[in-house]
Amino acid sequence: MNQHDRIWRRRVILFILPGVLGVTVVLCTTIGPAGIAFTDVLTMLLRRIPWIGSLIPRGEWPANYETIVFQMRLARVILAALVGAGLAASGVVLQGLLINPMADPYILGISQGAALGATAAMLSLGGTIALGIYSVPLVAFLCGLATSIIVYNLARVGNRVQMSTLLLAGIAAGLFLSSITSYLMITSGQNAHQILFWMIGGFAGRGWDHVKILLPYILTGYFLMHLYARKLNVILLGEEPAQHLGIDVEKMKKILLAAATLTTASAVSVSGVIAFVGLIIPHAVRMLVGPDHRILLPAAALTGAIFLIIADALARVAAAPEEIPVGIITALCGGPFFIYLLRKRNHPGY
Amino acid sequence: MAMILKINDIECSYGTVKVLNGLTFSVGSGSFTGIIGPNGSGKSTLLKSLSRVLKPVKGTVLLDGRALYRMDPQEVAQKMAVVPQETAVNFSFTVKDIVIMGRSPHLGRFQSEGEKDFATARQAMALTDTLHLADRLITAVSGGERQRVIIAKALTQEPEIILLDEPTSHLDINHQIEILSLLQRLNRENNLTIISVFHDLNLAAQYCDSLILMNKGTVFTVGEPAEVLTAGNIKEVYGAVVLVRKHPVTGRPSIILMARDSQIGSKIGRVHVVCGGGAGASLLGLLAGQGYAVSAGVLNAGDVDWETAGFLDISMVDEIPFLPVSEQSHQKNIKLLADADVCILANIPFGWGNLKNLEAVSFALEQTKPVLIIEEQDIKERDFTDGRAGLLYNGLKKKGAVVLHNEAAVLKKLQDLLASKPPAGQ
Repeated sequence: MNQHDRIWRRRVILFILPGVLGVTVVLCTTIGPAGIAFTDVLTMLLRRIPWIGSLIPRGEWPANYETIVFQMRLARVILAALVGAGLAASGVVLQGLLINPMADPYILGISQGAALGATAAMLSLGGTIALGIYSVPLVAFLCGLATSIIVYNLARVGNRVQMSTLLLAGIAAGLFLSSITSYLMITSGQNAHQILFWMIGGFAGRGWDHVKILLPYILTGYFLMHLYARKLNVILLGEEPAQHLGIDVEKMKKILLAAATLTTASAVSVSGVIAFVGLIIPHAVRMLVGPDHRILLPAAALTGAIFLIIADALARVAAAPEEIPVGIITALCGGPFFIYLLRKRNHPGY
Repeated sequence: MAMILKINDIECSYGTVKVLNGLTFSVGSGSFTGIIGPNGSGKSTLLKSLSRVLKPVKGTVLLDGRALYRMDPQEVAQKMAVVPQETAVNFSFTVKDIVIMGRSPHLGRFQSEGEKDFATARQAMALTDTLHLADRLITAVSGGERQRVIIAKALTQEPEIILLDEPTSHLDINHQIEILSLLQRLNRENNLTIISVFHDLNLAAQYCDSLILMNKGTVFTVGEPAEVLTAGNIKEVYGAVVLVRKHPVTGRPSIILMARDSQIGSKIGRVHVVCGGGAGASLLGLLAGQGYAVSAGVLNAGDVDWETAGFLDISMVDEIPFLPVSEQSHQKNIKLLADADVCILANIPFGWGNLKNLEAVSFALEQTKPVLIIEEQDIKERDFTDGRAGLLYNGLKKKGAVVLHNEAAVLKKLQDLLASKPPAGQ
């Protein structure tokens, strides 16, 4: 592949992906038991756009259709997009920081910490008191964050963080916390089903409230990550060579770990532990656009959003009227796809 | 010469292990300085502390008169580039992608590379002969090419000073010379200051104008290659016995390694070797290494045996090149022979010029000295005197000279002969 090809391909991807995302949003908002037409959904959405919205005439649809589209479906689609984008971007950043293509956003034990927090919250609070629907997300978020802070400090010697130690500390802490979660689940009896559902991850029953919680974290997190996009390229040469190129590696690690952790923990808190998105999407996109983070990072975020919206649509319709947790869909698609990518790779390196 | 880098009494440790212990030296702007020393002497650690990676626990490093560890890392990277021993890149960047990363220290946070940055990168690639690799993946180029790419990246930083850690240790000799010659050219033409760690003393001697010899975390000595690379210094720091001679072409010191078994003996006894033209060189080395007092003669000045005897500090009788052995030299040779315990005749060819050497050996036999002849080739094939040398040679055999066929047999025979002999003076 020559250089010209690469540049052309990168540009196209960055122009096409937002378009694909838009179409996906509309399409997946259409999908559902009410049978609302694609054009109606498109019209409804366009009418909500400021300035030009008022120019578009209202179509012939029952009044409750707008409620279904906006209050139920669109919120969910947007939430899936945010979670997908956040997980994929965090995955890109952690794979870069650890110079390890097997890293994913849960590497610091966030998922296991959040799962324990959520389990404890569901068992003790019943998910009903005080903070209402926010209690489980809040406790999950705090526990996920706490776990990653503990793991980070385990890997810290003085002012330096050894990335290989971080990886191992994350695995150890994760195993420790999962065993506690498993114990709680076994002894909880009838709640085990609810907890399991949360742990696999899904968007059932989520709405605009969750979007509002998540949005600031994802935007801030992504902004911080994107600031370091060029420096992330340099760190792939190794930490010392990056220092030789004038990068304050320790500071960069701190900021990026914090950004990835906040993004991931907030995503997990609203959707549960959705597997594979943060591992597969960075890989697949890297194979398409190459390792330059200035393109890889936005492309992965967009692709992650698209992928999770589609996976959630599948989760809704595959076994309708029953709903499958979206984490099962992502893992089912992700595993084989990952193996396919690894087998077809025809050049060395990632 | 202005000093670009001043190192004042630095100490560095890894945890509780102190690796550098009070180093002080300066590096002149525009110099090509080599850091040498045995494994574990702290060379790489020193380079780390000079490149703002490992902060010394004590002492200061000044870059252009400013404290290195108080400078912004980006500012340091605008002045200083580092080339590590080896760079592993597992991600599929192209060579061009890697080289342009060298512009990183010159770019602001929100800035992308502009036309000037690409021009600098292209120039660096032209200098390092990597332009043709521009679109290849860094994972798909050879070790030598990758190292040139990393040097191109370093040059793209437009540094004033470049630090290298054994930059050629993984490369074959052709690539070693190619890269070091490139550095030398940059040093001379662009006034780039170069500091490089070297494992290979000969490469260090060839390319550096100044050497820092390290030992056990301190500076052992600093100076020009000829002052630093002496057999004495190398023996003391590396514990290795070497020969140091002038490189015939460059005039720099050139280090010749001695085999381990040629430096351990402490045998007693005096041996005189009659040789010439290179037939005796390895035997002289072996005998000297075994610890025997060795003498040789008559040798024509400038031939290989003569040079070897010179290195080994062997007492010898020499003759003007291409002239036959004079009566005067012959007498001196006989005198050395008379002082020796054993005489050895190497497998040399005979012409009219060195026939006297055979007479000298014959004289030794008459004095009842043991004589060992190394005969690897029949005398008929190396007699260029119409049979005269053959006559004398066979005479030696008849008079009791011991004929042996290789050097190992000679060493064994010597041991037998000299063990049974009472030590001199009793």
